[in-house]
Amino acid sequence: MRLSGSSVRAYADESIAAASIACGSRVLSRSLKYHRPRTFFCFEGHCSGCLVRLGGVPNLRACQSPCTPGAEVEGQNAFPSAEIDLLGAVDFLFSRGMDHHTLMTGSSVLNKLANKVVRQLSGLGKLPTHAAAELPEVGRFDVDVCVIGGGPAGLAAASTTARAGRRTVLVDDQLRPGGSMRTDPRVGRALAEHYGAETVRTGVAVLARSTAIGFFPEDDGGVLAVSAPDRLYRIYARHWIWATGGYVVNLPFPDNDRPGVLAARAVGRLLVDHGILAGERVCIVETPAMEQDVTALAQALTGAGADVTRVPLADVVGTRGRGWITAIDTKRGKLDCDLVAVAATPAPASEGARQQGCSVVLDEHAGGFKIVTDDAGRTSTANVWACGDVTGYQGPAAAAADGARVGANVVEAG
Amino acid sequence: MAGKIVLCRCEDVTLSDLEHSVSRGYRDIEEVKRYTGFGTGPCQGKECLAVVALQLARITQQHPSAIPPFTSRPPLAPTPLKLLAKDPGAHRFADETDEGED
Repeated sequence: MRLSGSSVRAYADESIAAASIACGSRVLSRSLKYHRPRTFFCFEGHCSGCLVRLGGVPNLRACQSPCTPGAEVEGQNAFPSAEIDLLGAVDFLFSRGMDHHTLMTGSSVLNKLANKVVRQLSGLGKLPTHAAAELPEVGRFDVDVCVIGGGPAGLAAASTTARAGRRTVLVDDQLRPGGSMRTDPRVGRALAEHYGAETVRTGVAVLARSTAIGFFPEDDGGVLAVSAPDRLYRIYARHWIWATGGYVVNLPFPDNDRPGVLAARAVGRLLVDHGILAGERVCIVETPAMEQDVTALAQALTGAGADVTRVPLADVVGTRGRGWITAIDTKRGKLDCDLVAVAATPAPASEGARQQGCSVVLDEHAGGFKIVTDDAGRTSTANVWACGDVTGYQGPAAAAADGARVGANVVEAG
Repeated sequence: MAGKIVLCRCEDVTLSDLEHSVSRGYRDIEEVKRYTGFGTGPCQGKECLAVVALQLARITQQHPSAIPPFTSRPPLAPTPLKLLAKDPGAHRFADETDEGED
């Protein structure tokens, strides 16, 4: 493929993001307001870090786009390039922050000028070069059970309902199902592949690279809209199981958005799923709740030849580096590194279930707004269930057990 | 860079922006969203909603369970409009639109 004009060799089944980081590519775009450099953070399609222009189409996620021969990948939102962006001056000029509500509102002339400048600065990407050649038809599924999320919980739940004879569809937004299993050295890629294949074998219709984009209750008793790479699906189901897991999030420390600060789970995914060691000197910034996960990741990284230092969040006072991280500052002094892995409790991916009216509650130990369930896995909405990390972070092994258990309860419910 | 603690990377919303919002009296999660713009970028709050809500609970000294999430609206992920063009729902209001096309 071609990345910003240079040729890059890549494996056919890997993402553009993985190929880019493996070949040393760094900054992909610039942020909206301060034009701070932006690049990969989550590697799971949920942050906005790796938006690129691909084949003339803007705002595509590099981590969810497979490499294809001759693909033209370009950074966006920067002038003249993402690496050297003149608009980055905004960050220095407004080093103490910019309140756009009161920016140049004193004089109407200045305000008009400011509006012109702001319109140049803001916006995301440029329109596609060509209109879509054809408009795809909309597909439809009528099933007994729809499982949203193909991680450990979702795969276990879907296999369980399909084995019991329930027509089951599973929606997963990643390049390949497996979810957090592909990021965790205690589980690994082989086991993720095994559970994915097993789910297909039980008769589950697996929609990969497909995202539940909205639930519309007013439409024929409720329809879930799912975007697949080539078409939209309308899904109608008697039972819904949310197994969407959690989103990796950043931790609050100064300059926590510097390129080279990645989610710890992304660093794990690169190693476990792609065989890429993203840094030689890795600093893991962690919270006490993630102690066991970090221990497993640190061992795997050390085993792969990296030099790993663990730093509690409370000790971090800043980060250094131009373009890519070179060190973090801690209360005990400067620590040189070429990668920072941030380990925070993942935030439950509950916004889809919220559209079905499911109650959620903000819980720090759960990582965010967890779906509230009873002992059987029922949510506050009839025929809507939830299992795994979306009900509060538990990790891959416990999530798989939870999925199988809730799947069995759904079967029992009819 | 200038020591900013970024809570929402899509919209460059910092911890001090959140503190400023609260100090201006905008302390409800929906008000904070509208005042700072957090959660309105391409990720639609996947990375920042829980982070901002927990910081808001700390700053306003409320129990986290007292803070609701902001309203979740479709689409939940970046979606090419061409996928929606042939959906029956997309033409529900066709009679209200201008028939003429360029």
